[in-house]
Amino acid sequence: MLDALAESLFLILQLKTFMLMMLGMGLGFSVGLLPGIGGGATMALMMPFIFHMTPVEAFAFLLGMHSVVATTGDITSVLFGVPGEGACAATVLDGHPMAKRGQAGRALGAALMSSLVGALIGAAVLAVSIPVVRPLVLSFGSPELFMVTMMGIACITSLSGLGARGQLRGFSMGLFGLLLSTIGTERQSGMLRFDMGLMYLWEGLDLVPFMVGIFAVPEIVNLAVRGTAIAGERPNERLRSGVLEGIKDTFRHFWLVVRCSAIGVLVGILPGAGGGVAQWMAYAHAVQSATDATDRERFGKGDVRGVLGPGACNNSKEGGDLIPTVAFGVPGSGATAILLGAFIIMGLTPGPDMLTKHLSVTYSMVWTLVIANIITVALCLMTLNHLARLTYVRGGLIIPFVLLLIFLGSYTANKSIADLLVTAGCGLFGYFMMRFGWPRAPLVLGFVLGKLAETYLFISIARYGFEWLARPMVIVLFLLTLFVIALPYLQDRRKRRRRSTHAD
Amino acid sequence: MRINGRIAFSLLLIAMTAIAIVMALQWSFKAAFFPLVTAVPLLILATAQLMVDLIGRSPAEENTRSDLDFTADISPEIARRRTVAIFAWIAGFILLVFLLGFSLAIPIFVLTYLASQTDAGWWLKIALAAAAWGCFYGLFDRLLHLPFEAGRIQTWMGWG
Repeated sequence: MLDALAESLFLILQLKTFMLMMLGMGLGFSVGLLPGIGGGATMALMMPFIFHMTPVEAFAFLLGMHSVVATTGDITSVLFGVPGEGACAATVLDGHPMAKRGQAGRALGAALMSSLVGALIGAAVLAVSIPVVRPLVLSFGSPELFMVTMMGIACITSLSGLGARGQLRGFSMGLFGLLLSTIGTERQSGMLRFDMGLMYLWEGLDLVPFMVGIFAVPEIVNLAVRGTAIAGERPNERLRSGVLEGIKDTFRHFWLVVRCSAIGVLVGILPGAGGGVAQWMAYAHAVQSATDATDRERFGKGDVRGVLGPGACNNSKEGGDLIPTVAFGVPGSGATAILLGAFIIMGLTPGPDMLTKHLSVTYSMVWTLVIANIITVALCLMTLNHLARLTYVRGGLIIPFVLLLIFLGSYTANKSIADLLVTAGCGLFGYFMMRFGWPRAPLVLGFVLGKLAETYLFISIARYGFEWLARPMVIVLFLLTLFVIALPYLQDRRKRRRRSTHAD
Repeated sequence: MRINGRIAFSLLLIAMTAIAIVMALQWSFKAAFFPLVTAVPLLILATAQLMVDLIGRSPAEENTRSDLDFTADISPEIARRRTVAIFAWIAGFILLVFLLGFSLAIPIFVLTYLASQTDAGWWLKIALAAAAWGCFYGLFDRLLHLPFEAGRIQTWMGWG
């Protein structure tokens, strides 16, 4: 195994392979900044170029591109409140408020360093777990995957205010997100739901215009109303020390970063769950790490832990995604499904061969994840000062460019003017949500999980009737879901009890 | 009773949910099951929220979590005017894209916005508009080969 690891490192460091990886990273960097064009779509666009490459070169090129997308997606999330990728939306919640407080450097430092730690953990897990993870993946059928989506939905308790009214609004928005996800063709019966006679809605609302509208448009409105730079009238942050502070934050909250990375790896391993779910679970876990209600209230207003959790999770997920793809040919996400196409082009069959005959190719993927992330984070850290300065540029000069970013990104979802209208409509709805104190995260979480939950529920009932409810793993996941719901209350109660004991 | 924005928003949510339930009741069981499972509890929760809004507690008392605090430093009148203005710019941009396509709408929008909203010099405004178009053309058109619809005007003229 160690020989194969060393051999694959040598293969990656060959000049041609290394340059192809750098080219892929450059593309991934640009694409990560744009909402709408995801890593998966770019990978598909680049697929024709790999025909003349060796397997190691092809995977270095494609994975180099894909592995940096989430890292750079965090940059626009922090600076402008525009999620560069669907999987970077949770970073907006605390990253952008930090930028508005003049702490863009710190937020970016934290996002990048936690991304690197997450990526390294994901790659390490990929390297050691392929031979042992088979029973876990095979034990997860649609009933278990349905329960995982339920566990994701349960995170709403952490994404809403702790009081009864906060929960009321949080769960209302979560349910509304689930309801919106049912727009379009129902997959079992083929019936059209809530399509309003519009062909555009037959495929349902697309995540990108929806999410970008809900998150980015209200930020632009706020910036236009303030009439200042993103960071307001604050004096320039000492950028270098801000970035350093963000890096230190990663190690100050190292166990949170490790736990969120573990969430990313686990969700990545499960086919179909994807980064849209993982980031919110990690964010919810970061909120749960608050020591009491006052500490919890800091989230959503610029708490660095809200940046560290999703940052780490997004990049560790890539390693997790690759495990079922390489080991069994079961893609963990849309992007790895496209990557599976590269296996076929290269004449490789995912499965046992990848652990024996082509072990060096498998380990070259591990090294690509490691090297691409180290180089990207190092380059970003070097240019971070200039990026963070954008938050001090007058709002009037920034707004048209951010609007272009928003609407061009949204347009690429379906290449339709209707995408722009959906973005503007969701933006208006998001604006009123903000105006009247409704939380946005549960809405997006419900929307992301709705389709998955409905599909898995129907497959479970069609395949097992109601017997699936008695499956051992389903029961375990159900109990875990109850625990996730109760955790914030248990923590609060324990804290109060401890405080009253101290007072006595 | 005075209907404020918060009450109106809750009413909007209730209305949308009620319409969804009425529509779903006309579908087959398979198609209606999931929408009803989500819409019925949503209707109950939204109605409860409306009750809370009618009782009239201030947001500070409610322990809710809003993840974006709108600025309070600007007078409400100016804030309202600027909000309407930015939504008008957004609507204008979409209309420009519809009529002229992205390729022409981008430089026109950037230049017009900068000209009316900033006091930057004309060279800077023109340079920024050109840079915006250059990024669009280089990345989306040349590198990624993404298809962009021609504007309605070009189509009517037979240029699209």
